[in-house]
Amino acid sequence: METLLLDTSKFIELNFQAVGFLFIVGFIGGLVSGFIGSGGAFVLTPGMMSLGVPGTVAVASNMCHKFPKALVGAIKRFRYGQVDIKLGLITAASAGVGVQIGIMIQRAILDRWGQAGSDLYVSLSFVAVLVIVGGYIMMDAVKCARCGGEERPSSLALRLQKIELWPMITFKTSGLRISLWFTIPVGLATGMLAATIAVGGFIGVPGMIYVVGASSLVASASELVVAFIMGMAGTVNWAMHGMVDIRLVLIILAGSLLGVQLGAIGTTYVREHMIKSVMATIMLIVAVSRAIAVPKYLVKLGIMDVSEGALSIMGSVSFAFMCLALGVGSVIILGAMWKGRRVEVPSRA
Amino acid sequence: MAQPTGGKKPVLKTIIYGVVSVALYAAAFTHANTLTELFSRGSFWAAGPILTVFVFSYAHGTFASNLWSCLGVVARPRAAKRSAARPQARATINA
Repeated sequence: METLLLDTSKFIELNFQAVGFLFIVGFIGGLVSGFIGSGGAFVLTPGMMSLGVPGTVAVASNMCHKFPKALVGAIKRFRYGQVDIKLGLITAASAGVGVQIGIMIQRAILDRWGQAGSDLYVSLSFVAVLVIVGGYIMMDAVKCARCGGEERPSSLALRLQKIELWPMITFKTSGLRISLWFTIPVGLATGMLAATIAVGGFIGVPGMIYVVGASSLVASASELVVAFIMGMAGTVNWAMHGMVDIRLVLIILAGSLLGVQLGAIGTTYVREHMIKSVMATIMLIVAVSRAIAVPKYLVKLGIMDVSEGALSIMGSVSFAFMCLALGVGSVIILGAMWKGRRVEVPSRA
Repeated sequence: MAQPTGGKKPVLKTIIYGVVSVALYAAAFTHANTLTELFSRGSFWAAGPILTVFVFSYAHGTFASNLWSCLGVVARPRAAKRSAARPQARATINA
């Protein structure tokens, strides 16, 4: 067969370092996703771009590895009785609508303020959502840890569950009954955030916990169903435009399929507040990373004046913080699993 | 995390799926340029990357699962069988 040359404007030449980087980030991203239901995309996409992959190909390739990874993680956690398929499907359906709303908002901002305005909007959304939601989860996780790790549904969720508004839906795995009208906003917000910052799970999981009233275990496991459906729909769209680089996808998948199963196994060793702790820690560190990136867009819009050198350093520090978020998350997960194992082994003896 | 398991470790399954995974990766990367070019055509070729990742996920995912089992990294049995509290049955009047 004739050897075809790659279009170098779209597809990069892979070297050993790039393969190693993608495999390792894929593994750590998979570990975090298997544990908290999402994560990894915020490092993988900019990581691929730093290797020279164009933005659209990086987003498409990331999405193409995300949905099979989520599927494998969801199957694994379903076997542990943690996945509420109905909750995942309903959230995914409303998230699909949310994505369309998010895209419309993005387009309106792009038309009004251009690419720099759009980038600034994305970064500010990142910082605002992650600080507010991440801060709240962290406070709750600390409170939960002080009370012995026992998780209780939020007062908001309990109040909403008491409102009999047709149609009422029973989520058997979650062990709750709530009106459909209170689950839809969670899905919409998940989709809107996914369309804006590509990590819908940072809203989806807390939404399922604090609004719907599911436990951290069920929410993070059901988020994998949402990630699978949304990732697959997104991949079909990107692949129709020929934007998927299958080589990148397969390398990342090689690491992430190992990681996602380890993360899923890890959920059976830790107390539920650990899921909240890991999620909040990652969200708050990523918020710092995005805050560091904000001046770049302010400079482009002519609102701020910073030298090129300083902006370059800020870009590198911002990416380093992204990697730190993933690294810290994975260390906490592995540490908690190790601790859980040490408690388990003597109890068996 | 890793813990001694009393059950039989799926060594043979791990080796079989490991060999299948390596064969799939070798086949894909031997023809990497061709595959990348075909899948970048878009339209109906969109089925290419999607089917490819499903096949790889099955083979490599099964290998990964068995590998962790062989290494003794398995779910805590108590948690694995844990089921969430079911909602209470609603009182109804059969009139």
